[in-house]
Amino acid sequence: MTATSADSKRVGGVERPPRLRPRRSYFGWIGILPFLLFSTAFLLGPAAILFFRSFQSNEGGFTLANYQQLTDPQVLQSYGLSLRISFVTALVGGVFGFLLAWAVIFGGLPRFFRSLLTTFSGVASNFAGVPLAAAFIFTLGRIGLVTALFGFFGLELYDTDFSLYNFWGLTVVYMFFQFPLMVLTITPALEGLKREWREASENLGASSWEYWRYIALPVLMPSVLGTIILLFGNAFGAHATAYALTGGTLRLATILIGAQISGDVLQNQGLGYAVAMGMVVIMGLSIAVYTVLQRRAERWLG
Amino acid sequence: MTVTAPPVVLEAPSAHPDSEIKAGQGSKIFAWLIIVAGILYFFTPLVATGERAFRAIGGVFSFEAFRRILTDPGFVDTFGASVINAVLTIVVSLLVIVPTAYWVTLKVPKLRSVIEFITLLPFVIPAVVLVFGLIRMYSRPPLAILSSRESTRVVLICAYAALSFPYMYRSVDNGLRSINVRTLTEAAQSLGASWPTILWRVIFPNLRVALLSGALLTFAIVIGELTVALYLGQQTFGPYMANLVRNFVAEPAALTILSFGLTWGAMGLISYLTRRKPGRRRLRRQAVGAR
Amino acid sequence: MKRTMTLLAVFALLIAACSGDATTTTTAAGGGDTTTTAAAGGEMDALIAAAQAEGTITTIALPRDWCNYGGVIDTFTEKYGLEYNGLAPDAGSADELEAIRANQGSSGPQAPDVVDIGLAFGPDAKDEGLLQPYMVSTWDSIPEDAKDAEGYWYGDYYGVLAFEVNADAVDNVPQDWADLLNPEYNGQIALAGDPRVSAQAISAVFAAGLANGGSLDDPEGAAQAGLEFWAEVAAAGNLVPVIAESGTVASGETPISIRWTYNGLANRDANAEIAAIEVVVPASGRYAGVYVQGISAFAPQPNAAKLWMEFLYSDEGQNLWLDGYCHPIRYENLIAADAVPQDKLDRLPDVTGAVFPSLEQIGAASEVITTQWDAVVGVNVGG
Repeated sequence: MTATSADSKRVGGVERPPRLRPRRSYFGWIGILPFLLFSTAFLLGPAAILFFRSFQSNEGGFTLANYQQLTDPQVLQSYGLSLRISFVTALVGGVFGFLLAWAVIFGGLPRFFRSLLTTFSGVASNFAGVPLAAAFIFTLGRIGLVTALFGFFGLELYDTDFSLYNFWGLTVVYMFFQFPLMVLTITPALEGLKREWREASENLGASSWEYWRYIALPVLMPSVLGTIILLFGNAFGAHATAYALTGGTLRLATILIGAQISGDVLQNQGLGYAVAMGMVVIMGLSIAVYTVLQRRAERWLG
Repeated sequence: MTVTAPPVVLEAPSAHPDSEIKAGQGSKIFAWLIIVAGILYFFTPLVATGERAFRAIGGVFSFEAFRRILTDPGFVDTFGASVINAVLTIVVSLLVIVPTAYWVTLKVPKLRSVIEFITLLPFVIPAVVLVFGLIRMYSRPPLAILSSRESTRVVLICAYAALSFPYMYRSVDNGLRSINVRTLTEAAQSLGASWPTILWRVIFPNLRVALLSGALLTFAIVIGELTVALYLGQQTFGPYMANLVRNFVAEPAALTILSFGLTWGAMGLISYLTRRKPGRRRLRRQAVGAR
Repeated sequence: MKRTMTLLAVFALLIAACSGDATTTTTAAGGGDTTTTAAAGGEMDALIAAAQAEGTITTIALPRDWCNYGGVIDTFTEKYGLEYNGLAPDAGSADELEAIRANQGSSGPQAPDVVDIGLAFGPDAKDEGLLQPYMVSTWDSIPEDAKDAEGYWYGDYYGVLAFEVNADAVDNVPQDWADLLNPEYNGQIALAGDPRVSAQAISAVFAAGLANGGSLDDPEGAAQAGLEFWAEVAAAGNLVPVIAESGTVASGETPISIRWTYNGLANRDANAEIAAIEVVVPASGRYAGVYVQGISAFAPQPNAAKLWMEFLYSDEGQNLWLDGYCHPIRYENLIAADAVPQDKLDRLPDVTGAVFPSLEQIGAASEVITTQWDAVVGVNVGG
């Protein structure tokens, strides 16, 4: 294949010789084959049942009724609720997590804070489900520590509109694993900010704020976006924490699925699988949106 | 233009790139505020749990609940088993993800969204579906791997590696984005390195921070995982905790504190063991070509 | 990109196709054992020998503190020298059946031999071919309406719904359903599950309905009455949207819960150091719930499974369940034969007048409750 001008790059004003490109674009596949095989063996294969069973009725025959039920207001509400909590916790988690990571890396704090935060984030990132719900119930539940503390000062929390067991309560609880996830995942990107850029921007008279706004953040944007979608997916698929906290009264999509598939009373398993397939589709759409945003962000980097 | 100066130094960026630039006063105060807010948020629930744990038996402050757990052989056995599983999972996950992420970044960026989609699938596949799917696939000939406890453990670890993909891939991807992969590779190639050498001696060391993040996240997942272990009949920490939590008030709180502390300690150990050895000079990165 | 997707899809489809699916065949696993009944004496010895040759019994969804299964397990393993392998103690009935389905043809430690499921699941499991028939030697003393005529499933124990109350946190322990509307219980009552999903919670709604004018002849009406009752409780602010468990009752987070007598009493004993728990069977609307046993059609250790059943339905096994405050299914029979020590009888709560809804009645009521709960009781999720 002859070198085209697209193959060569202009770097520093000088043309670099074109890179050797493999002849056919299929060659690229070989590199990801191990990944594909592994994923098929331990992820896609087992999950394929989702696809097949979603077309099955309770009696065992083929049906599209499960998918039709996806338009029921109850199901749509579940999706809506899941999407809302995922967006909110991804964004808020993303912002504050970013600030936490920034603070220990660039904030001039004592050095050991950094490894403390990193290791703590490791543990906290997966602190979920029953122990997490229990911890917050111990804190903000009806007889929780903080509730009692407020009561001591005369403010009866549960006489007001406040409750741990609603959407906002769950959001507060979700943050416990969203913040650390953001911290851990964005740290490599923050690490990669070149000192030279900071120096150069200072030499040119830019303030700290301007450095971040015009240089650091744009550079980091692809990674930030990628991490936010990770937080989004994390919240979207979360089940145990919500269940432990609200006993299933907050009808997230994952809880709806669990109720249909594993319930103690005969339900419609096919519907559960159809809802799960819906989640897969939503995840795919989110990735599409994210990819578009990603390309925009990358364009700056050339 | 290629570099004519001394050979390329393929060192990782310094651990604190901005540490030589003093943080302004305003920044510092802001940073402290953030950290204090974070500490308040994170530690209050833990303190509340601890209060329950100590107050557990009969409303009197005591270590009784902790003592009961630490002397339970089930605790030590299951936690130990989970730690071993976690370490093995990290290894498998790294071996699958790092070369793949590297390849995708370098050769086939168009396939990136496909890979990302697959790595995010663990979020939307319910755990029960996954475990029963695994059982279906590997219970019968010709793939009858699930015939004994030990071989099932292998399947468990591979499944855990798959579950860690979202976190591992994102960390590694972030890490790759922050280093100049293409240039490093070309430089190494021009020095005559083969692919395995490039991966092992160039890419891996430069991804240290990213790999650490991914490893810590994976470790946490494996320690706490419940559903897959449960239905595969594996005696790991997740099922043990769930069993305890079902019935008692004090022991679960104590168990939460203990497992939190132990896991934090393990993470600290991993972090310590993988930090750069002291005494190695921090070398300035040479610019390779103009950036 | 399109090629990748197609290739992936083909891969996944191939693998999934090879791994089989829901339609099952009813070939029993295990070596050449075709007995479906057991007689005393010599056959019992043969069964014991065969079971011991298999060496292990694998169960699922049997928590040690549920009906004193811990005692049952320990006694069984000691008596016959078998190893015990207990899967997923918290699994629900649907998961138990899924475990049978997924493990067809497997002889590994993940395949359950026996299941303990809700009454409603029995007939469906039989129809789907997931169970194999077996009639224990005490078959005749099991009440007719609590077992399948062909021996595929058989009731094992029952309990009655009761109020489990943390007497430290609650001054006046409620004695009947109507008491639950009392404003002094503001924010204190919780169901033991999600009423759209959990059998225990659904029973609580049905029972409340029966106590409030409903009758078994019209299960839908009773279910409706139950929903309206709980709507009133929720409107009074007494019902909290948390799932009550032993832990939450003992800690005082949910001081009043509606659970089976055996769960409440077991909790009372287990957490005695932490809180004084009282279990009160409501004066009216006494509701009994039955669980059933079955042997998996694909049990890797069928003889061990049969021996397990023999043990459970022997006087000894049934008494062990009594220790766990469960009424064993052969209760009447045991009383008549004087096979229960008096002190055990005294420990049991008084459950006279408890009704046993039939499968059809439960099914009809469940339908109404699971679909109407949100609309009628509908806790406002806010946000």
